[in-house]
Amino acid sequence: MRTLWLELYKIRHKRLFLMLTILLSIELAWGFMAVSTSMAKNPDATTWSAILVTITAMNGLFLPTGSAVIVSRICDMEHKGRTWKLLLAASVSRKAVYAAKFVSAAVLIGGAVILQGLVIVAFGIGYGLAEPVPIGLLLRFVAGTTLTNLVVIALQQWISLAIKNQAFSLCLGMIGGFIGMTASLFPPQVGRLFIWSYYVDFSPVTYQYVNETMLFTTREIGVHLPIIVVLMGISFYLVGSIHVSRQDV
Amino acid sequence: MLLRCLGAEWVKLRRSRIWLVLLVLPVFSALIGFANYWMNQAILQNGWYSLWTQVSLFYGEFFLPILIAICCSFVCRLEHVNRNWNVILAAPVSTPTIFFAKVVVVGVLLFAVQLFFLVLYICAGFIAGLHAHFSFPPEVFGWIMRGWLASLTIIAFQLWLSTRIQSFAVPVGISVCAVFVGLGLYVSGLGMFFPLSILTIGMGVLSQESLSLGELGTFAVMCVLFVTTGCALGIRHLTRAGL
Repeated sequence: MRTLWLELYKIRHKRLFLMLTILLSIELAWGFMAVSTSMAKNPDATTWSAILVTITAMNGLFLPTGSAVIVSRICDMEHKGRTWKLLLAASVSRKAVYAAKFVSAAVLIGGAVILQGLVIVAFGIGYGLAEPVPIGLLLRFVAGTTLTNLVVIALQQWISLAIKNQAFSLCLGMIGGFIGMTASLFPPQVGRLFIWSYYVDFSPVTYQYVNETMLFTTREIGVHLPIIVVLMGISFYLVGSIHVSRQDV
Repeated sequence: MLLRCLGAEWVKLRRSRIWLVLLVLPVFSALIGFANYWMNQAILQNGWYSLWTQVSLFYGEFFLPILIAICCSFVCRLEHVNRNWNVILAAPVSTPTIFFAKVVVVGVLLFAVQLFFLVLYICAGFIAGLHAHFSFPPEVFGWIMRGWLASLTIIAFQLWLSTRIQSFAVPVGISVCAVFVGLGLYVSGLGMFFPLSILTIGMGVLSQESLSLGELGTFAVMCVLFVTTGCALGIRHLTRAGL
């Protein structure tokens, strides 16, 4: 707990949440513009599902990128300040620092996802959607996105701490964003090999084209996918933590 | 003096393995673009042009600007560590020379990346068997060169950001946001007024129609204007700011 507070103390002036908010604001502005245009052309698509599908697809690009930037900033300060030796001399365990960094990144990005959910609700109400706010769908959207994010953070943190040169972790984030954006183009068996495609896979709403019209349907995710993702997350976290703890400083 | 600075930049880069990043991103976008072309050949029937729309879409619109941002952050990384800016600026070299050396180094790296992307595109076309049915479009060389010229505008601004911002990741994050601003401006018909939309126009990413003579002139003027502005901002920051 003390390490977590210290970690939050270290990042207090870095304006990470502000940066994430700006990134997600651009995403939402872009997404809402696309949804508004689509709804104006096709009044049948004036539903919450249309908003959720669009934002989920855009999350596939923006959240891996945002996570890469945030995690890189949280981890790079130890490399730049050469503080690992200092931390070890102060009897701080590297696993505790690793956990604290993971939790602080997860809190920041999780907070941004919740904020995103609230902005979606505000947009839907402001647009005057006839349906009531689908709380269940929104909660599933936030839960699925957060779960995928946790695994992405675990992977990014491993790379950001293991390799001093942050170009590699950012490159991975960009590739992740690209895979997340194009996830729906992959065959399901291929897509599920990549954690970034789970943003779309966990979407509580899906769509299909019938006679050139988008039809939205809600879907159940089941328990298998979340279990697979949790296992992936635990693996990335443990491998990363053990690897970084054993590295020479 | 510029040559000496270029030599110093090269020494800083040579064991950095930045080439891995420079190779991976174009390969990745070419692979995905090629796969998309391969799976949709029934719709994409315009041969080399259709292939270009697929491979250049993600590369020119998304990966290239971010690759530029990563390169620019990278060439300023060592200077930000341990207040090395002070060491560099105390050397008997003029500030503009230091900045221009960075522009040239990133420009040369990006030129190599553009050529590599051209090779990937040609290979993808040969694998798809396009050479048997379609003649190779000469416009591709223009798209590659204009893409590189537009890259120089982004390089100038990204270097300005990277000299200002100590963090490696923040300029890259800004670049991601700028990609979408650029796309918005391109769609609104204001593409010539933003470096990232100029890249879209120059590389023929979203429209493969040839630029008219007037458009080419505007393109060249805007490139020069943006490069000059970016360099001026960067040099001004290095000259005046307390580093």
